[in-house]
Amino acid sequence: MIELKNVIKKFGRKEVLKGVSFTAEKGEITCLIGINGVGKTTIMNAIMALTPINGGSILIDGEKIHKGSYEKITFIPDAMTMPPNMRINDAFQFMADFYDCWNQERANEMLSFFKLQKEDRISNLSKGNTAKVNLILGLALDVDYVLMDEPFSGIDIFSREQIAEVFTSHLIEDRGVIITTHEINDIEHLIDKAVLLDDGIILKEFNTEEMREEEGKSVIDVLREVYRG
Amino acid sequence: MSRYLKLVNFELNRFFKIYLGLIAFTAISQIIGVINRSSQYMNQANEAIYERGMALDEFIQQYGPMSFQKVSQSLFFQGPIGICIAMLLIYMFFIWYRDWFGKNTFIYRLLMLPTERINIYMAKATTILLLVFGLISVQILLLPLESTVLQWMVPEELRMDMSVNEIIGADVFGLLSILYPVTVIEFFISYAIGIMAVFVAFTCVLLERSFRWKGIGIGLVYALGSIVIFFLPMLIEEMFFPYFLYPMELLLLMLLTGLIVTALAIWIGHYLLKNKIRV
Repeated sequence: MIELKNVIKKFGRKEVLKGVSFTAEKGEITCLIGINGVGKTTIMNAIMALTPINGGSILIDGEKIHKGSYEKITFIPDAMTMPPNMRINDAFQFMADFYDCWNQERANEMLSFFKLQKEDRISNLSKGNTAKVNLILGLALDVDYVLMDEPFSGIDIFSREQIAEVFTSHLIEDRGVIITTHEINDIEHLIDKAVLLDDGIILKEFNTEEMREEEGKSVIDVLREVYRG
Repeated sequence: MSRYLKLVNFELNRFFKIYLGLIAFTAISQIIGVINRSSQYMNQANEAIYERGMALDEFIQQYGPMSFQKVSQSLFFQGPIGICIAMLLIYMFFIWYRDWFGKNTFIYRLLMLPTERINIYMAKATTILLLVFGLISVQILLLPLESTVLQWMVPEELRMDMSVNEIIGADVFGLLSILYPVTVIEFFISYAIGIMAVFVAFTCVLLERSFRWKGIGIGLVYALGSIVIFFLPMLIEEMFFPYFLYPMELLLLMLLTGLIVTALAIWIGHYLLKNKIRV
């Protein structure tokens, strides 16, 4: 379980996260929702220890993040995380060199699913294909938790559909996923838990299935209610 | 292979093409320098001896024999060394900043590697040091080669052959004497200071990357503090106890302060990478 307890993050004098607490379970897809600048990416970076927090705590399976945690949790940011002059094949080799949990078979499987070539240079990829390679680099790791920051941001509808398809596949099954996205339509039906953020605080946190069954509302209905008042 | 060595290998590969370019540029420019200076000298000799009928001994007395010193003082020779030094100084900072800036932010991947973050720091430092020592070694290997070219171009009676040590020793005001200090002790002092400077510079970069604008100020204060700590024995002796210490005692004290500065730089760098760094 990923557990955030009263997390506070400041940039200078500005408090970006004002005591955020929530949990994300293994086998569930948790979606962080909110307009730009509410602190979604900051939460992701904080979980991965890519930015220090000013208060509170973040635990992964009861432990603070350490070097071994990166074999258990991965983050797929909305930008490519490999040098542009690398070929996809080199990027795979890099991952294989450094991660014991790298699954080459799965990487190849995803590569053919996305119809990409190993010899392609990263700098020559379109935005959509870059997002796909980023997704492969994250999901081909046999980790328990995957964090994804805006995986659908700025990419065409066909690429979006392909990426959304990944969410229904065995690639996600049994993993704990935290995702931030504006394109809620694409994955609304897949989300188990929604966390609605505004101005560094959690406005609402709910189980989507319960919401559907008990109140008959979809995630988008709740979003309208909360953000439009 | 440990992840640290893999990181060193990776970092070396990232700069390798430019590095080969620098080596090729240095070799070509210096050999052009040898050819250029030798031709100039031979033209001068031919004109004096064959056209003006000057005796060989008289010519040598007037113009001096052709030696490698005439080549090593030329821009063709010193220029590429200067460029290599400048490139490596720039790369000492760029080796970090290239991971943050640009379309692809590789720092995400580096910081998410399942290894101690100090390995990233040490791998980058090792890379810089290997690049520096590599270029120095190449330059040493180039000197006899360039001497041979000179020997092909200038007849024995007109030249004064020099060994590698003599070439370096003669280049009192040039860059060669900086790269290759004359005595072994000077060599170790120079390069120990160089290594310390690399670590201090790295920690300054990490201070800036951790605290951004505020980090520049902190970095400057830290760098200044490191310089003061390093020179503290010298400063104290100068100000309070003139001529109190023997040179060897002073050297040992500065070795100690140098070790303190280096250890402090690595410790702060490790702390920043672990607790304060921002993508």
